[in-house]
Amino acid sequence: MELLLNSMVLPVTFPLAAGILCLLLPKAFDRARAVLAAAASAITVLIVCRLLLEWKQLPSAGPIIFSDPTWGSLRLDHLSAFILLVTAVFGFLITLYSIGYMRGKERLREYYAYLLGTIGVACGVILADNLLLVLIFWGLVGLALYVMIGMAGSDAAAAANKTLVIVGGSDCLLMLGVAIVWMLTGTLTLSSIRLDLAGGFRYVAFLCFAVAALAKAGAMPFHSWVPDCGEKAPASVAAFFPASLDKLLGVYLLVRLTTGMFVMNTAMNMLLMLVGAGTIICAVMMALVQHDLKRLLSYHAVSQVGYMVLGIGTGMTLGIAGGLFHMLNNVIYKSVLFLCAGSVEKKASTMDLDKLGGLARVMPLTFGSCLVAALAISGIPPLNGFYSKWMIYQAMVDSSRNGNYLWIILLATAMFGSALTLASFVKVLHSVFLCKRSAALRHADIREVGFTMWLPCVGLAALCIVFGVFAYQLPLKVMIFPALDGVVKFPGAWYAGLATVLLLAAYAGGALVYLLSTVRKARACNTYIGGEIMEEMFRHKGADGKVENVEVTGVDFYRTVEDLPPMRAIYGAARRKLFDIYDVGGKAAFFFVEILRRAHRGLLPMYLTWVLAGLLVIWWLLLSGGRLMI
Amino acid sequence: MEFGSLILQMLVFPGLLFTAVVGLVTSWVDRKVTARVQMRVGPPFLQPFYDVLKLMIKETCIPAGTSRWLFLSAPLFGIAAVALASLLIWRAFIPLGQTFSGDIIVILYLLTIPAMAVILGSFASQNPLASLGGSREMKLMLAYELPFVLAILVPVIHTHSIRLFDMLAAAPAVAKPSGVIALVVAMVCMQAKLTLVPFDAPEAETELTGGAYVEYSGPLLGVFKLTRAMMLFTMPIFLVAVFCGGIAFGQGWLPILLGVLKYLGLVVAVVLIRNTAPRVRIDQAVKFFWGPMTLAAFAAIIAAFLGW
Repeated sequence: MELLLNSMVLPVTFPLAAGILCLLLPKAFDRARAVLAAAASAITVLIVCRLLLEWKQLPSAGPIIFSDPTWGSLRLDHLSAFILLVTAVFGFLITLYSIGYMRGKERLREYYAYLLGTIGVACGVILADNLLLVLIFWGLVGLALYVMIGMAGSDAAAAANKTLVIVGGSDCLLMLGVAIVWMLTGTLTLSSIRLDLAGGFRYVAFLCFAVAALAKAGAMPFHSWVPDCGEKAPASVAAFFPASLDKLLGVYLLVRLTTGMFVMNTAMNMLLMLVGAGTIICAVMMALVQHDLKRLLSYHAVSQVGYMVLGIGTGMTLGIAGGLFHMLNNVIYKSVLFLCAGSVEKKASTMDLDKLGGLARVMPLTFGSCLVAALAISGIPPLNGFYSKWMIYQAMVDSSRNGNYLWIILLATAMFGSALTLASFVKVLHSVFLCKRSAALRHADIREVGFTMWLPCVGLAALCIVFGVFAYQLPLKVMIFPALDGVVKFPGAWYAGLATVLLLAAYAGGALVYLLSTVRKARACNTYIGGEIMEEMFRHKGADGKVENVEVTGVDFYRTVEDLPPMRAIYGAARRKLFDIYDVGGKAAFFFVEILRRAHRGLLPMYLTWVLAGLLVIWWLLLSGGRLMI
Repeated sequence: MEFGSLILQMLVFPGLLFTAVVGLVTSWVDRKVTARVQMRVGPPFLQPFYDVLKLMIKETCIPAGTSRWLFLSAPLFGIAAVALASLLIWRAFIPLGQTFSGDIIVILYLLTIPAMAVILGSFASQNPLASLGGSREMKLMLAYELPFVLAILVPVIHTHSIRLFDMLAAAPAVAKPSGVIALVVAMVCMQAKLTLVPFDAPEAETELTGGAYVEYSGPLLGVFKLTRAMMLFTMPIFLVAVFCGGIAFGQGWLPILLGVLKYLGLVVAVVLIRNTAPRVRIDQAVKFFWGPMTLAAFAAIIAAFLGW
């Protein structure tokens, strides 16, 4: 048992130690530092694998809990095993990608130190069984996020502050939640707490925990740090934090809450489902009209949380399994998308959809993995995103049998959400990869990125296909169903594997016939625009008489949607940040501060009046207290 | 054995070959009825087959400087998806194998792939006309998807199941007023899903010269045409299955004839609408689907909850 405890602490301590080593290496060793960090994160994956194997070989393969004087109590069960493995693997992939992406940038010392440190503390959150330990590690993850956003330079400072306020604020609520739970139960051991939601304090505790989990995962209305962070932070940070790690931790806590710490009731489940459905639709509507690639992707990072929360909110084991699976899938394809965005940024030096274009030919691997990930996030069968959404829908229909009628609206919202997701990715694919190159990039020499950068993208994109096709055989059976103690009632499988084989058979057959027979002699020809020459036709004189090219860049695709009467008002309100909890909260705070400030004008008579008023109050209290005593 | 029979089902009946043949026959019905409306004689029965076969032996042109593999494979995504959707629908009619819970959602998602294939293909063309066509196709999809999903949910409320087989076993949805409203909404959405007039803005021959298809030629265009013909078959069959009780096999000839008549009725309705309506602009289409159609679908859902 002693060995096992050591290997359980190792995933936390090893990356932390490696991170400190990275911090100590002098600046001249930047290349070596990057390789060292990648190696350390790879070793962390091995450490986690060894831990899981040791645990599997125990005679009782159930959850194990350690109480250790230095470490508090640690726990390993199927849920934490699953999340732990995914965290370690993604930590490794992001570090690998960083070698190429961060090359030549400033402050690499801190970057790699914090990256490795984050992997360590994230493993700590997952393995801790003591609420205080969870709280500390949880806060450290948020702090690391703050520092790593700030690394992008001075214009990222505002985004970093916003993130700190929202995520840190939710950490305070988590603290409050822990305190209330301790008051109610007298214990801080996560695995021994099981509260039913009876009585006000329990609701408050649940809501505190839920807000912390939702804010970390980026669900509405605590989402507004995600777009800012995604836009300003380096793509690797965006891919690691809001796209993968924060989802993993947030959903992990939410699942622990709903299946372990609290016994859910219908009202709270309904609340979660409403939050989920609202998040899906609102965030994706915002994504539709973005012009900055990373910002657009961040809104999707918010929107996808909606599906997970929706699944968990059904309260059915199938729905929770679907939510967890969707989380895994989202981590995969959203990382691919952010990493592809990073590769594009590296090569084209812009994220403005207006200024990109035509990269499909020169960056085929990036384009291919981005296409697969875009289709997966839009829920196109037989990719992985479809399978998990389909499980969630099933659970929603099943939960309707309990007389839960609102589900139908939520189901329609969720399904419509995937059409909107597809729409915004259609825009991305067009304006980044497929349309003619913009004037700015026309003569730029752009090539495919190096292998440390495309390898994670292609590998994860392949995983999107594999997890979609063999969803039941691989991720569900091995990782997700065991993570939920209840036996998942699976009402029938859509034969994803078989269907895919059939699709591929049709595809291969068609490809064979057409490609071999005709395409070999296919002619490359210029595009036909009614006999006009494109350059001349799409050149017009601007207001100042300057000739400019007018291309279809795809940025204006959804102007029609934006201009619809109710939409225009809603988008207007969103631009004025009326839906941003940070902005609204800030305004409210300043309003009260302003009231208080009026009492502080620096005038002596006014302060004297206050002192007198205070004395009067104390006097009255003493008197009435005295009377009470009598 | 199971696997071999599935491959056979996918490629021959009721998958690719069957859907293609019946789809082309349906497109003949379309062209014949259109001709009669316009006081013409119309094409012979085999004309659609000749058209597609002729495209298969024509030359393929690929726009210079594009992503070749996407341009070439986009049409194939569409045809594979519609064949698979048709297979899933027919498995509920005829016991060819186990159906599964949630197949309606799979079919709904599969039926969006042909439109997506058109969009990706049009973008891969690097042609501004095609780009416009593709973007209109996407907006149209956004527009009709909401009322379409809501309409399909009405029979789901009636039967409390998302399995096509259960819907066929229960009383048809159109037996109730809510089902009738939902069917009408779904039929209008079907018109848009098939990008037929009045919702043919993505192709708009007169302004976009075919829009999405402008750069396609030869076998690839043939595959797109075939996919459209297969959709013209699969979409009405899906609505017949979901709303009208499907085609009942194994109870003599009369129910089968009745089923075929239901199907032909929907097809003729589609054709008549396309021949008598003018084209609407894309923003009008979006307003129409998100406004009156969505409200009607909501009304149908509320009625369905009330048991009407």
